[in-house]
Amino acid sequence: MSERTREPFAVVGQSVRKVDGVGLVKGNPKFVADVDLSKALHVRILGSPHAHARIVRIDTSAAAQIPGVVAILTHENTPSTRHTTAGQGYPEPSPYDVRMFDTKVRFVGDRVAAVAAETEEAAEEALRAIRVVYEELPAVLSIDEARAEGAPVIHDETDATGIYEAARNIVADVDIDVGDVGRGFTESDVVVEATCETQYAQHTPIETHVVHSYLDSDDRLVLRTSTQVPFHVRRIVAQTLGIPIQQIRVIKPRVGGGFGTKQEVLLEDIAGWVTLRTGRAAFLCLSRSEEFIAARTRHPMRVRVKLGARRDGVLHAIEMEATSNTGAYGAHGLTVLANTGSKTLPLYNKAENAHFYGQAVYTNLPVSGAYRGYGATQGYFPLETAMDELAERLGLDPIELRRRNHIRVGETSPIFEKLGEGREGVSQTVKSCELERCISIGAERIGWREKRGTRRREGPWVHGVGMSIMMQGSGIPQIDMAAATIKMNEDGSFNLLIGATDIGTGSDTILAQIAAEVLGVPASRMIVTSSDTDLTPFDVGAYASSTTYVSGMAVQRAAEKVRDQILSVAAPMLKTPALSLRLVGEHVVGPAGEGTSLADVCRRAMYSSDQFQIAATASCVPSESPPPFLANFAEVAVDVETGRVKVVQYVAAVDCGVAINPLMAEGQMEGAIVNGIGYALSEEMLLSSTGRVRNPSLFDYKIPGALDIPDLDVILVESYEPTGPMGAKSVGEIGINGPIPTIANAIYDAVGIRLRRTPFTPERVLEALERGRRPKGER
Amino acid sequence: MTSLELTINGERRVVHAAPGDTLLEVLRREGYVGVKKGCGSGDCGACTVLLDGRAVNACLVLAAKAEKRTILTIEGLADGGALHPIQEAFLDEGAVQCGYCTPGMVLSAYDLLSRNSAPSEGEIREAISGNLCRCTGYVKQVRAIHAAAERMRSGRNE
Amino acid sequence: MGRSADGQVTRRRSGGPVGLSLGCGLGSPGPLVSARGDGNNRRVEREGDVEDVGLQHIQSIARPTTADEAWRLRTADPESTRFLGGGIDLVLYTPETVTTLIDVSRLGRAGVASGRNGFAIGAGTTLSAILEAPEIASYAGGFLADALRHVASPLQRNVATIGGAVARAHPWSDVVLALLVLDANVEIFDGAARSVAVADFYASRSQNVAPLVTGIRLPLRTPSTRGAFEKFGRTGFDVGLLNCACVAEVAKGICRGVRVAAGGTPSLARRLPEVEEVLEGKRLSSEAIANAATLAARGVDARDDRRASESYRRTLTEVGVRRCLERLADGGAEGTR
Repeated sequence: MSERTREPFAVVGQSVRKVDGVGLVKGNPKFVADVDLSKALHVRILGSPHAHARIVRIDTSAAAQIPGVVAILTHENTPSTRHTTAGQGYPEPSPYDVRMFDTKVRFVGDRVAAVAAETEEAAEEALRAIRVVYEELPAVLSIDEARAEGAPVIHDETDATGIYEAARNIVADVDIDVGDVGRGFTESDVVVEATCETQYAQHTPIETHVVHSYLDSDDRLVLRTSTQVPFHVRRIVAQTLGIPIQQIRVIKPRVGGGFGTKQEVLLEDIAGWVTLRTGRAAFLCLSRSEEFIAARTRHPMRVRVKLGARRDGVLHAIEMEATSNTGAYGAHGLTVLANTGSKTLPLYNKAENAHFYGQAVYTNLPVSGAYRGYGATQGYFPLETAMDELAERLGLDPIELRRRNHIRVGETSPIFEKLGEGREGVSQTVKSCELERCISIGAERIGWREKRGTRRREGPWVHGVGMSIMMQGSGIPQIDMAAATIKMNEDGSFNLLIGATDIGTGSDTILAQIAAEVLGVPASRMIVTSSDTDLTPFDVGAYASSTTYVSGMAVQRAAEKVRDQILSVAAPMLKTPALSLRLVGEHVVGPAGEGTSLADVCRRAMYSSDQFQIAATASCVPSESPPPFLANFAEVAVDVETGRVKVVQYVAAVDCGVAINPLMAEGQMEGAIVNGIGYALSEEMLLSSTGRVRNPSLFDYKIPGALDIPDLDVILVESYEPTGPMGAKSVGEIGINGPIPTIANAIYDAVGIRLRRTPFTPERVLEALERGRRPKGER
Repeated sequence: MTSLELTINGERRVVHAAPGDTLLEVLRREGYVGVKKGCGSGDCGACTVLLDGRAVNACLVLAAKAEKRTILTIEGLADGGALHPIQEAFLDEGAVQCGYCTPGMVLSAYDLLSRNSAPSEGEIREAISGNLCRCTGYVKQVRAIHAAAERMRSGRNE
Repeated sequence: MGRSADGQVTRRRSGGPVGLSLGCGLGSPGPLVSARGDGNNRRVEREGDVEDVGLQHIQSIARPTTADEAWRLRTADPESTRFLGGGIDLVLYTPETVTTLIDVSRLGRAGVASGRNGFAIGAGTTLSAILEAPEIASYAGGFLADALRHVASPLQRNVATIGGAVARAHPWSDVVLALLVLDANVEIFDGAARSVAVADFYASRSQNVAPLVTGIRLPLRTPSTRGAFEKFGRTGFDVGLLNCACVAEVAKGICRGVRVAAGGTPSLARRLPEVEEVLEGKRLSSEAIANAATLAARGVDARDDRRASESYRRTLTEVGVRRCLERLADGGAEGTR
């Protein structure tokens, strides 16, 4: 896009109310389950009790006799097409290792069968009546077991594709380097190494996965589903069920949170099959425990980072080795692994030598998938704590070390090109970066200089401060595509039809703001319809922080085309060349102040003269992925008697480009940070020795509540991204990467211990404190 | 199935319920779909309604126990077209993201503000401590409740 | 998640040779940790196992008007009946054999009544109503109100009754812990009305039908009574990994009538008599407090479970008892979350 003169925005940059806000705050029926379900079949899924087993026999005869049971699905009567559940662009960079119902189960909770019945109770009763004979197989319950010599092969099916080395349970393998790290470390004056481990964590959207399917009056299959990826759902369900894409319509209503777990085709195939077979509507909603056990999780990882620097503090070599547990199926296995390096290493582009390598490994455990941050979250833990250690070894303030190393405007990193989302990446130069100001503003707000190193004591609480910096991306360059259609109405309002997927993020609103800015109207004049595969043009969906940057640019382009059409209609009306006309305040205005209303323009185009529908469609495939940047600062207090860690104050200064809606951008950051604090301190899925989730409930999987939040300060430090719509980048994911390393570094400042395993539960922290107190030989 | 007489949002209703039905199940079946299910076990608060003026988890209350009592759901809060000050504040402060926890959160706030017109931040946080949210981090929700309290004290509803 | 009806349980072998297993059961059920629901409305939580139960088996709700009537209904068919208070715990889990719930929440008076010998609280009184009652705000220096404020969330406190809390007695119960150190009595009816000390109520629990709880009696306290409550949860809205409390009359630094107890160990709250003995009639000096706390950690019945290890619970007991006693020495200030 061409650089336009930067006039102050009229709509962009305003914290307008959400376009769907009134309905939400009134509790209007907006979510999948908010319809009359009295005629729908209720579907329940039978999950495997074993982590690894073959299904020898399934006997559904008794279940079929139960009154109210209408259909029973097993591997015997459903399609066997191997596919991926990962909602990614085609061809998906994830293995095709899933069958709708397989003859083998690979984790506790894996699909065995499903029942559709008139009532939920009848379906449950039928599940209990299904008799299954299993041949139990030895299970693989850790990444080390998975790759060990002679380990059981989890994916031994002959028709899976896209697995790097199934015989060794390796889904993906990545290995890229720049320069020669070996020599780089030798040449370094100081070398620091950190290995960190992260846990199984879950998104816990308050609305679980849910789908409602039915045949419309033309017998087409309609899937109303809580998804982040409506177009991928359509394609993958068509593939799985063996029906034409044309026969399916996917509608995404309001979604009660996704965070990545709904970037997956988890339920729609079952519901769709039931509807196609029975002609009836079907309703399938995961219970909360099913959501824990059989939805998706964050990839647990072990990540080792080694840093080599010269005396002057400039990094000379960086090595990152990541091993990722992708669970029983490989969705997102390769891409999350690659992202662990691609969204972290370019931040420190001064290092001439870099090496990223790692593997994603199958286990007979719950399936990992996309989760906000997407590998970067796991990668920043060792990277930013190693940087903290390096600063100490060099005698530098951690802030100063970051200053000497982080990427700046006009710079690039060879990693951009070498490492993308599973394939090669795309070379790019940073064009906007206010990280410097983020760091100094954040440092001042937290009181860095006054607090660092003081270890202020308050009863049993010892205080400390820590910091970290990070980047993310904005969409997947050259792969993600978004499109938008705008059509005008004769009252001067517009329909904005976008594939872009609002999952609570507010994309309907900010995309309306972008269009409204171009068209010179308030955002409320945009009537937004989103995420309906029949009505809205294509969009990859809500992931990779792509919506503002990619979908936003499609919207901006469509709006510009519509603007040009409006001006071409208005020109003869005002007897002024179109080039001299502007759109302002719902009018077309000329240089001498002459004007006409948008309504008049559209009425003319619709009814009077040279009639045509003022409308346009535009698309965007980004050629780069400009990173947002973030500086995090946290003050923690550690109770040295119990190990409890409290985050007292948290400051996040973020450069997301231009904030289209500041309040909403803050909201994205605040939500991500609090989620990250839970991931750092209290969230952990516990697994038994047989691979069962021991705490599949919010009672025992502890996410932060209102009593757990710190004094949280999000500061938007705007830059202007020339390639972004209105100068915007993205802000959806980056916030969640901050808490773990920032809190870890703050704990070190407070009590001098380095924690390497999340979550930092009180028991773990206390144990580390006690180990630290013992004489060195005893640890 | 038995008949239960409940007063819901000011309206006397007779609903059918099995003895083991929870208030959440009955309310949603009767069309009050603003009452959300997030867990079914009282851990998330998405199903919050007011029972005789006090906020409760509808998923933990047997519908039969609510007989002849007064229930307020989110659908009963706005007065015709006019939103309640709490609802207005939630919108203005950016406290609504996906909106799934919002009805429950708003009603917990309503319970608090009906008994405490100038709550401290600590009291606000405690009042919504049983309402989990994954989108917002609670910051703007606390601010919105604070703003709503101010509006209500000054008699504004704008 | 479902489970097959033929009830066969699989013999689970972790690793090792392959074998055939019958049925789709969820494996040998582990020990019943607590009857608490989660997931699709109501499930039984066993260690490592989740079963669907639901409440479809409930066929009727009886509403007796006297304790006598309630008791007769209950004992006539113990397998298929349960007392219903606020109902929270029953909604989360009721065995499939139960077909009738006996609503006892409106028997007797609700609310807090003060008398010559202390306070009487009807079993059907909600926890919120108790902690908001003005008499309770000042009772035992505010100790009971503070303890109750730690229970669950306001949403649950608005429904949960004190009778239900005492009858169900979850091992992590803050309510039982508080009543224990307050020397409360439980008023019960099992054919006749009686009053028993809280500790005795639990000590005498047997396989027979548990008596109907009709109320709680709190003894009169002197103005020098102080109490302190500590709960160590993972987040602010949580059960305690360990909770503990102390109550005593403290005059001129000397404490009398000392009660110290710990719960959620993971067992139900129990007093620590050896700790009480060592403090009775003594000055609350820092050595005395430290000594008492060490004794508490040693004597508490702590065990591992998935929430915390035994050794960490002992640490929390030492810290918790010490902090409670320090607050007692300081004037019984309110605990913090």
